[in-house]
Parts: sequence; structure tokens; C-alpha cells
Amino acid sequence: MANAPGAPISRRTLLFGVGGLSAAALLSATGCGYFGSDEPPAPSVVATPAALDPINGLIATTNLHLLRLDAAIAADPTDAPRLTPLRDDRQAQLTALEAEFARMNPSGAAAATSPAVTAPPAATITMPDTPEAIISAVRGDAATAQVQFTDATSSASRYRAALFGSIAAALASHRAVLA
Amino acid sequence: MTSPAPTPPAATSGDPASGSPASGSAAPSSVVAVPTTAPAGPLAPDAQAALQAALAAEQAAVWAYGLVAAYARDQAAMIAQARSGHLLRRDATTARLIQGGAAAPEPAAAYQISVPVTDAASALALAQDIETDAAAAWRVVIGSTDDAELRGFALTGLSDAAVRLAMWKQVVGTVPSTVPFPGQT
Repeated sequence: MANAPGAPISRRTLLFGVGGLSAAALLSATGCGYFGSDEPPAPSVVATPAALDPINGLIATTNLHLLRLDAAIAADPTDAPRLTPLRDDRQAQLTALEAEFARMNPSGAAAATSPAVTAPPAATITMPDTPEAIISAVRGDAATAQVQFTDATSSASRYRAALFGSIAAALASHRAVLA
Repeated sequence: MTSPAPTPPAATSGDPASGSPASGSAAPSSVVAVPTTAPAGPLAPDAQAALQAALAAEQAAVWAYGLVAAYARDQAAMIAQARSGHLLRRDATTARLIQGGAAAPEPAAAYQISVPVTDAASALALAQDIETDAAAAWRVVIGSTDDAELRGFALTGLSDAAVRLAMWKQVVGTVPSTVPFPGQT
């Protein structure tokens, strides 16, 4: 029978509760549970050390946006003179990021270009129909990447923070020239 | 590109290769730092030096935009906006230094510039130099600290300078108007 709110707890209820908690604590301390082990099952897929490098996500994003810029330039020749310098910037950034990955992961340099993190082929990328929508999409890509690089700046090593911050600033300028 | 007259210090040169960036951006052995987020805490010596250099760059920018305004009258609105941005950042940087227990040096009475300003074209070239210097100074700050809050503060300065540099390049018709790594020289 449950006690009413505010009613005094009986001695029997109190002892039962304390005993139950003690048993639970004992089971927990020994790694056992009421219904089996509390240990999580061992994962069947384990990330390799190279894949743990957070720069991989930045490389993948830059690679994807580079391909989208290629598609935008092909689809919108009128704005190509405006977009091509931005594409060149992103290419230089991708090269720098891949070099940084290779520097820190000399044995796993291929991971940055493995199928798991590589952007889709250019042929599969479709851009909007109108020039205005294409510019808007490219500007949106720059905004997305700027957020990603800004976030990465806060927790990276000093060397990488300066690199990521510089790229984030470049992306801010890309948004400005496309506005 | 702008330095206090008559003794130009490296602090306003904006050249990351002139010392502090080497310490701030030295090749690391780890890819991830443990960020600290305590705001306005005591500044570490390297972060303090980098922030003081950034303050000097902002002070020089405020002074130099006065010169730009005298010759590039057609761009008065952009100049006023840019100068206002540097004023705000100068004051915020001063406050950040004081909160961090560091000295905030006063601006110089005047500054030397690399190329004489005699017309609108040279004035707009100076405007680009101002932003290049500011970007370089803020990039050094990012690479000189593990404090996430200070990195964010510096990144705002770097981004603002990068955007203004691109805008000035567009005004004078420079192609490309952006650079892939603002602040890196």
C-alpha cells in the first residue's frame, strides 16, 4: 500500500526500500543487473583512428561544395566569372585541408579520399534552374561551411584553429560577394 | 602596412611570419585541443601579446581610415562603416585585455604607411592594406590561445576584416576579390 503524500513512512517500508537500494547498488557494483549484464554490447563496427580525425568532415564538405560550384558554373555561364574565383578558393582550401590531414595521419592519408567521406560524382549533382536560385544555393553552401569551420575552430589545435578560422573568414567573404 | 611613427613595430605589420604566429601556429602533435571557455580570465602570455598586436592593428586602422576618408570621398559611406567597425573592435579588444589583467597600450599619435596617399586610388589601396593587416593580426590571436571564447572573439575580427577586404577589392575592380586564407601571408 502506498503512503499518501506527506504521510509518515512506516518502518517496514523504509527498511524494504533501503534493502532494495543496497541490493541494486551491490548488483551494479559487480556489473550485474536484475535482468542481465549492464555492460553495453561490443560494437561490431569500430572506427579506425584515421576516421576519428575531425578534419575528415571538413574535407568532405569542401569537396562536395567544390563539385556543386563546378555544377553551378556549368549551369550558369553568366555568373561563371563571379563563381570561378570562389571555386579556386575552395580548391585551395581543399588542398590545404588534405595536406593537413596527411601531415597528421601519414599512414592513413587515403582515408580522406575513401568512399566513406568522398562527395558524390559531379554528374549526380543538380543545381536549381534559375541563376538567382543557383547563386542562392552557392551562398547557402558557403553559410553551411562557415558554420562548420567556425565550430571546428573552437576545439582544434592551435595550428588547425588558425587554418579553420581563416577558411571560415574566407567563406564569410564569399557570402558577402554573392549577396 | 601602417605603423606608428616614427618607430614602426612589428605589432602593426600584420605579418604572421614575424614571430607570434610561429608560436601560435607551430606544427602541433595533436589535432584536437581541450578548449577552455571561461570568459575574461587571465590571459596567457602568448595570447596577451597576440591580442595587444591585434589592438595595435585596430588602432592603426582607425587612424588610417581617417586618411582614406580624406581622399576617397565617393566611398564615404563604406569608409564610415568600416571605421566604425574598427572603433568598436578596438574598444572591445581594450576591454578584453584589461579584463585579462593585461595592459592595453594607447594608440600612437600618427602612423607611417607603406605607400603615400595622394588620391582616391592610393587611398583605396591603403584601405585594403588596413584590412589585410587586421586580418593577419586576428588570425595570430586564434593560433595563440586555447580559449574558445577568445578564439571566437578573434574569428569575428578576422571575418570582418576578410569581408571588408573583399568589398574594397570589388570597389576597385580587383579580380579575384576574395582570398582563400584571409590573414595568412
